[in-house]
Amino acid sequence: MSRRPFLRRQKSCPFSGPHAPKIDYKDVRLLQRFVSERGKIVPRRITAVSTKKQRELARAIKRARNLALLPFLIR
Amino acid sequence: MPFYESVYIARPDISASQVEALTQQFTETVEAKGGKVTKNEYWGLRTLAYRIKKNRKGHFSLLNLDAPGEALGELDRVMRLNEDVLRYLTVRVDALEEGPSVMMTRGRDGRGRGRGFGGRDRDRGRGGPPRGGPPKGEARPAAETGPAPADRRAAQ
Repeated sequence: MSRRPFLRRQKSCPFSGPHAPKIDYKDVRLLQRFVSERGKIVPRRITAVSTKKQRELARAIKRARNLALLPFLIR
Repeated sequence: MPFYESVYIARPDISASQVEALTQQFTETVEAKGGKVTKNEYWGLRTLAYRIKKNRKGHFSLLNLDAPGEALGELDRVMRLNEDVLRYLTVRVDALEEGPSVMMTRGRDGRGRGRGFGGRDRDRGRGGPPRGGPPKGEARPAAETGPAPADRRAAQ
């Protein structure tokens, strides 16, 4: 019982690396993956997005919301 | 001159050719101030994610601009005055995209369901029964994403 039952795999940021997608407020399909069922932005401890990219992502999501591409909330 | 991207949503009850005319009008305002419109895209009549002025749909258009700041002020004013424009957003970009944007390349509705994160939100059902019953879609167990290990250990 002393060993940790779950070894957490190191996750890497989905926006870094050679084939990383560019964060763009127009790319609804991409942004939708980082929004919860209710329309909230998913924290980066779950999505493993790097701090810098998370800021960029949040900005993009907020722009998309403003343009009614993404909802502010889903009831 | 700096680069900008401008997206506007026009009322759904005007025709596509009227949207064209709007774009033309905005292009002229920008050009009158010494700017250039390098690209314009019409995304079509899309469903809005929420209602704006009682409308559920809207004509989306994108303009790529290479224009001085003063032109933006004027464009802003014109769009705000125009009643056919439900909403607009102009952002400065480092470089203008060439070729069609993601909206055009990925089918009409950019909406497909990718694998998403986040099963349930924590604030759901706080106090009182949860609204709308169990969350639909996403058969994935919520435990997968939660901070499970810590609780698990504490329980033993």
